[in-house]
Amino acid sequence: MVKTNSSLNKERNIRLKGLMASVSEQRDKQAFGELFNHFAPLLRSYSLAREPGSTLLADELAQEVLIKVWNKAHTYKPELAAVSTWVFTLARNSRIDHLRRSGRFSTDIDPTALFESIEDDGPDPFQMAQRQRVEERVHNGLKQLPIEQSQILAKVYLEGKSHQEAANELELPLGTVKSRVRLALQKLELFLKR
Amino acid sequence: MANYHPTPEMLTDFSAGNLQLGHALCVSAHVEHCDECKTNLQRLNSIATNLFDGLEPASLPDTLKNAVFSKLDDEHIEEPVREKTVSSHIPRALQQFISESYETLSWKKVSSMIQQAHLSTDVSGSKVSLMRIQAGGKVPMHTHSGEEYTLLLEGSFSDESGLYNVGDFLVRDERHKHRPVVTKDRECICLTVTDAPVTLTGFFTRWFNPLLRRGHFSH
Repeated sequence: MVKTNSSLNKERNIRLKGLMASVSEQRDKQAFGELFNHFAPLLRSYSLAREPGSTLLADELAQEVLIKVWNKAHTYKPELAAVSTWVFTLARNSRIDHLRRSGRFSTDIDPTALFESIEDDGPDPFQMAQRQRVEERVHNGLKQLPIEQSQILAKVYLEGKSHQEAANELELPLGTVKSRVRLALQKLELFLKR
Repeated sequence: MANYHPTPEMLTDFSAGNLQLGHALCVSAHVEHCDECKTNLQRLNSIATNLFDGLEPASLPDTLKNAVFSKLDDEHIEEPVREKTVSSHIPRALQQFISESYETLSWKKVSSMIQQAHLSTDVSGSKVSLMRIQAGGKVPMHTHSGEEYTLLLEGSFSDESGLYNVGDFLVRDERHKHRPVVTKDRECICLTVTDAPVTLTGFFTRWFNPLLRRGHFSH
């Protein structure tokens, strides 16, 4: 039987959750090694997307995040999010922290507090079922976006460009960039209607 | 229930980690009490996750795995996440500056109606503070030259465009010309983030520029 892309994705998510449980409950280094093999190349790539050529920084970010995965494994809540989502938030926070340390961001606001305070809360069962559906829709929908829309999402999420910076780089008016993002969000049916 | 929310682009930049921290603080304090934005944000995070998962894996230097493994035993497991201060009505994002109540901040008088408490100044010059306006307080007609983010924390006020209540999130810039009036029943406390510190052009502050400028660099 040929497996669909989305069922492969689901299997991988289940495998990663199993590894996290072993790390968290048994302090299993072999399981951690597998998490390392999966995430270290992605983390390095994430760092290089923002700072191409900064291989030392990329190593540092990968190292920092993976050590957090080991140390904070008990705070990961498998019922709330995929392991990748959790690791992404660690990577994003690590990136922000680096920007702080290098003086490009304010130093007296603690960024972790900003994100933890709103990402910790557990949803009710109804929302959880919904979230699963949304995850799948996003997973399948992203691949079908027109290139000019997915290109901007990648700039924003991976390269860490603000909408304004993305506009400058692509030599597009800011309004065009904003409307492409809105179109993408619409197509993914992501936003609750207001 | 808030009626005014951050735009989708703002939430997108927030979830990607691209907002300067003052703006991120303001967005976070709004989202904490807004179920709608919270759900939208979680959905945006799933875009992030998918893009992250889809990255071309970068090759690793041989030494990295050993470097990480060598540190695993040295570091202690962190304490469980600290308990939330459930009782506090102060947004958790702000609790790093305000522990118990707004009263404990060092408020500086801006006018007979208005007080200001400074929280943080960003490297870019953007400034985060709380404004406190007496019940019925009026702010003279003014416009903005930079962008200003405002989150209503307590009380309510109105201007030509509407009535704003607790949780409402507003962005004002040079296109807006308005005259906010605080409702008569109680005082109003706002979190504000202003872009342009030297020519203060805040929502409530522009008119008082000369007064504010004096104190600005003492922080």
